[in-house]
Amino acid sequence: MAKKLMKGSEAIAEAAIRNGCRFFFGYPITPQTEIPEYFSERMFEEDVKGCFLQAESEVSAINMVYGAATTGVRAMTSSSSPGISLKQEGISSLCAAELPCVIVNVMRGGPGIGSIQAGQGDYYQAVKGGGHGDYHLIVFAPSSVQEAIDCMGKAFDLADKYRTPAMICADGIIAQMMEPVELPDMKEYKVDPAKKPWAATGYDCKNPVGQRADITSLYVETEELDVLHERLQGTYKVIEANEVQFEAYNMEKAEIVVTAFGTVARIAKSVIDELEAQGIHVGMIRPITLWPFPYDAVHQAATQNGVKAVLDVEMNAGQMLDDVKIAVNGEQKIEFLGHCGSHLPTVEEIKAKILAMKEGM
Amino acid sequence: MKQFIILIGNYGSGKTEIAMNFALNAAKTGKTLLIDLDMINTYFRLSDRRDLFEDTGVEMIAPNFANSGVEMLTVPAEIAKAFDMDWDTVIFDLGGDTGAAALGQYHNKLELARSKGDEVRLYNVVNTNRPMAGTPEKLLRLMENMQRKARWDVTGFIHNTNMSYETTPADLEAGYSIVKEASERSGVPVLYTAGKREVLDAFLAGAHDPKFVGEPLYLETYMHRDWDTLTKKGV
Repeated sequence: MAKKLMKGSEAIAEAAIRNGCRFFFGYPITPQTEIPEYFSERMFEEDVKGCFLQAESEVSAINMVYGAATTGVRAMTSSSSPGISLKQEGISSLCAAELPCVIVNVMRGGPGIGSIQAGQGDYYQAVKGGGHGDYHLIVFAPSSVQEAIDCMGKAFDLADKYRTPAMICADGIIAQMMEPVELPDMKEYKVDPAKKPWAATGYDCKNPVGQRADITSLYVETEELDVLHERLQGTYKVIEANEVQFEAYNMEKAEIVVTAFGTVARIAKSVIDELEAQGIHVGMIRPITLWPFPYDAVHQAATQNGVKAVLDVEMNAGQMLDDVKIAVNGEQKIEFLGHCGSHLPTVEEIKAKILAMKEGM
Repeated sequence: MKQFIILIGNYGSGKTEIAMNFALNAAKTGKTLLIDLDMINTYFRLSDRRDLFEDTGVEMIAPNFANSGVEMLTVPAEIAKAFDMDWDTVIFDLGGDTGAAALGQYHNKLELARSKGDEVRLYNVVNTNRPMAGTPEKLLRLMENMQRKARWDVTGFIHNTNMSYETTPADLEAGYSIVKEASERSGVPVLYTAGKREVLDAFLAGAHDPKFVGEPLYLETYMHRDWDTLTKKGV
C-alpha cells in the first residue's frame, strides 16, 4: 500500500478507524487535539460512518466510552496528561466491568496543568494504577508514528481478547511529528454476540436467548468481589505471560545497556549508533509494552556476558527506573539520566553520561 | 511597492519550509519581513529556526510565547509594522487548515495595501500525500474552507507533494494529476512546483502540461528532524 505522510495524532485516529473503531468520545487538549479534530471529519465520511462526539468534559468522554463498550463495539477516547487524570475513575470502572476499549494518552509535562510540550511523567499513572483498585491496563509506548499505528491495532485486539482497557502512552513529539507511514487495510468490525456474550446487544423478552447483559463495577457482597478479583488477576497473569513486547537493539557486544521508551529511546538510539561507530558498544532494551513490563528481557540484558552497567534514561524523575530495578534485582549497577518539565535529554548529554560511566569501569 | 506573500495549506503541506525559502531568497535583494502566524500549535514551527535568520537580513516576528509551555491565541502587535513600515517582501506563514483564520483580521489592511499598489499573493501549499488532501475533492474543500477563514482568495497553488525524507519524483508525479484536476475544476492556477533540486529536476524531465507545473521552486531543507537539533532547539 502507498505510504502517507502523517502526523502521529492523525495516524493514531486513522489506525483506530481501520481497526474497526467507530465510536470516539473526547475533549480537546494540547498536544493531542488533532486526534479529535481528525475524527470529527473522518468519522462522517462515507467509508466510515461512525460517531464522533465532543463531550462536555474528559469525565463525560470516558463514561461515554464505558457506555459504548458495553454494547461490544470498538470505542476509544484520547487526551493528554491532565485530561487523563480526570478520566481515572472511569478507567477504574471500565477495568472492573471488564470492558474492552482504548485510551490514548499523549503525555505532556506535569504535574498539574504542567506544560504543553512532551513529557513521560505519566508512567506511574499508566502502569501502577492511576485510578483506584487492583487493576492493570495493557500499556503501549510507541516510539515512532508507524509504531503508534501498529500499537493501535494490537491495543484493540488485545482489549477485546482479554476484556480489558488498553492504553497508548505516546508523548507530545510522537503525536506531533510527521513521518512517512503505511496504514493497515480497513477492517470491518461487527459485534459478534457469540464472541462477546457479555455485551448488551439486545435481549428479546418474548424469545429469550442466552443471558441478559449484566455489566457493573459494583459488587455488594465481598464474596462476589473476590470472584471478580480472581478472574481479573488470572487474566493479568495470562497477559504478563503472553503479551510482553520490547525491542532489543545492538545488544550483541554491549558493555552498557540503556533502557528507555518512546521518544527518548529514539534519542538514545542516535547515541548508540554514534558510539558504535567509535567502537564503543552500547545496547538498548526498549519496552514497547510498559505493562506487561519486559522484566525478563531487561534482567537478561543487564546480566548478559560483558555487560557492566545499565543506564535508564527518561523524561521524568525516574519512573520506569523502578521496574528496571525490579528486573535487574540488584545484579547490576544502574544509573539514571532524566529531566522533568518537558526537557528532552539531548544526544550530547546521553553520550557524555555513557562516556563518563565507561571511564569509571 | 511591497509584495505580501501569504502561505496557507493543510498541516504538513510544507508552508513553513517554503516560507523560509522565500524569505532567504527575498532577503538577497530586498528588505524582508517573515511572520510566524501559526496560532494552531507550538510544535514544529518557524520560530524553532529563528537562529537561522541571524545575519541574513530577514527580520522575523513570532507570536507571543511561541515555543513556550503555554498557548496564547494572540497575535503580536508588532505585526502592524508589516503594513506600516517599508519592506520589499512580507511573508506570512500561517498555521495548518483552520490556522488560515489568523489572517482574517488583516483583511482591511491588505485591501488598503492592494489599493495603494502593493501586491498580495495568497498561496495554497499542497501535499497530496497528506491524508486529508489526497484527492481533488479534498483539496478543493480544504481550499474553500481556508479561503473563507482567511478572508482572501487564493492566488495560486504551490504543488509541494512530498514524503518528507523519503520523497521521490514519483510523489510529485502522483500529486501532479491531483493538483491538475483541482486547478482545472477551480480555475486556480498552479504557480509553482516545489521540491529538492534532484527530485524536482527528475520530475521536470517528464512530460507535463506546463500550465499545471508553473515555475520550479527549488527548496533547501531547514526544518531538520534529527534528534540532536530537535533536543537542543526544541520542537
